[in-house]
Amino acid sequence: MTKITPNEIKIISKYIYDISGIYLDQTKIYLFETRLGPLLEKEGFSSYSELYQKARADPGKKLEIKIIDAISTNETLFFRDTGPFEVLRHKVVPDIIDARSAKFSGLLPTSIRIWSAACSTGQEIYSIAIVLKELLPDMKKYNIKLLGTDISDAAVAQASYGKYNKFEIERGLAKDKLQKYFSLSGNTWKIKDEIRAMASFRKLNLMLPFAALGKFDIVFCRNVAIYFNMEDRKKLFNKIADLLAPDGCLIVGSTETLSGICPRFEPKRHMRSIFYQLKK
Amino acid sequence: MKDLKILFVDDDPVTRKLMEKKLQIEEYETTIAVNGVEAVDFISKYRFDVVLTDLMMPGGVDGIGVLQATKEKSPQTDVVLITAYASIDNAVTAMRQGAFDYLQKPINFDELFLLLDKISNLKKLGKAAGDLREAMDVTECNAAQTIQDLEMSVSELNGKISEISHILSKKNVDAAKRVSIALDIISAT
Repeated sequence: MTKITPNEIKIISKYIYDISGIYLDQTKIYLFETRLGPLLEKEGFSSYSELYQKARADPGKKLEIKIIDAISTNETLFFRDTGPFEVLRHKVVPDIIDARSAKFSGLLPTSIRIWSAACSTGQEIYSIAIVLKELLPDMKKYNIKLLGTDISDAAVAQASYGKYNKFEIERGLAKDKLQKYFSLSGNTWKIKDEIRAMASFRKLNLMLPFAALGKFDIVFCRNVAIYFNMEDRKKLFNKIADLLAPDGCLIVGSTETLSGICPRFEPKRHMRSIFYQLKK
Repeated sequence: MKDLKILFVDDDPVTRKLMEKKLQIEEYETTIAVNGVEAVDFISKYRFDVVLTDLMMPGGVDGIGVLQATKEKSPQTDVVLITAYASIDNAVTAMRQGAFDYLQKPINFDELFLLLDKISNLKKLGKAAGDLREAMDVTECNAAQTIQDLEMSVSELNGKISEISHILSKKNVDAAKRVSIALDIISAT
């Protein structure tokens, strides 16, 4: 395997930061070599400098996309940490529905928009969709829109297909849910159309402006800001605060906090989990 | 003893005898079924790591049937099909249905044992990954509780601080009174 030099690490980590906002620890040489090494080999480059130069010079940004796919962490599973989904089922969604139905006295379908800001290969958004499907038997009464975004093209493509191999599917998903919401074709499990139809996906770099996405009632932004530096975390959660409905809620990763990052949010406890709402 | 529990299925008595002997020499814990029907019965009663089955068998349940029964009962079990050259297309179809691999007749035993080693290594890797994941989950869960408790405390303290600064800045209230209220807020838990 081609070795990466200290100078190349500096150049490449700066480049990756510029294109994705992902802040890589420069001491983790193995991270560069294990993630970018296979790409280097596949493209036939002899050094990391060559990879960098070719990526910079590629107007179609094909190489940039491949680098982001290789470097981004797609660790995800269905119902990762049960807490957030319990919060969603027992607290957040019922509260929003109560507030909205009172406001419109049942004349219009209650609208709920949910965003999974770093949806990876789709497990989070489909877990959310399954919770909603089970919680709201009469879906016609609601206008539910789920949006999943991720910086990795490959991840967004897989999320959109909704296809998982046995290793991906076995993680976190109970057997009854698997049988009910997925169909097996060969070695691949595919999400059923009724769940797939609830969600849409698109590529998005969280470092760039995203106000055009519109307002959301619930935002999941879990385990992505941990790859950003402190300044970028502050900017990210501020932008999320801008597009969250006043009574909406934000769910971050179970080991993340917003203390000292975004004072516009206040933590609320439900059972053993925390979610955030905008300060009144 | 090797760590793989194997079920071998073949309707031909000579092949069965030979395979049983070879697997025993290599110290695999082996169960033998004389046809697909018996294999399905064994699969419903016992757990195997690997099912090694002939593809073409008479009697209603062929290799594909054994594969389907195995995957239904225990998806973790790997199925290897043994096939004659003429039925390779069927073996490829079986791979699409979840078979781990297929071997061509006549069986090359070196190839078979390499394949079994590969399965064994993959299972060990899978277990190691599972153990790591479990350790990570436990650590993450503990860390999450601590962090979330701290987050709630910080939020509560921040609330108190802004209440105190609000009180202290009220110029129209007597200074001693303001300090007294501030101290009350601090001591309230």
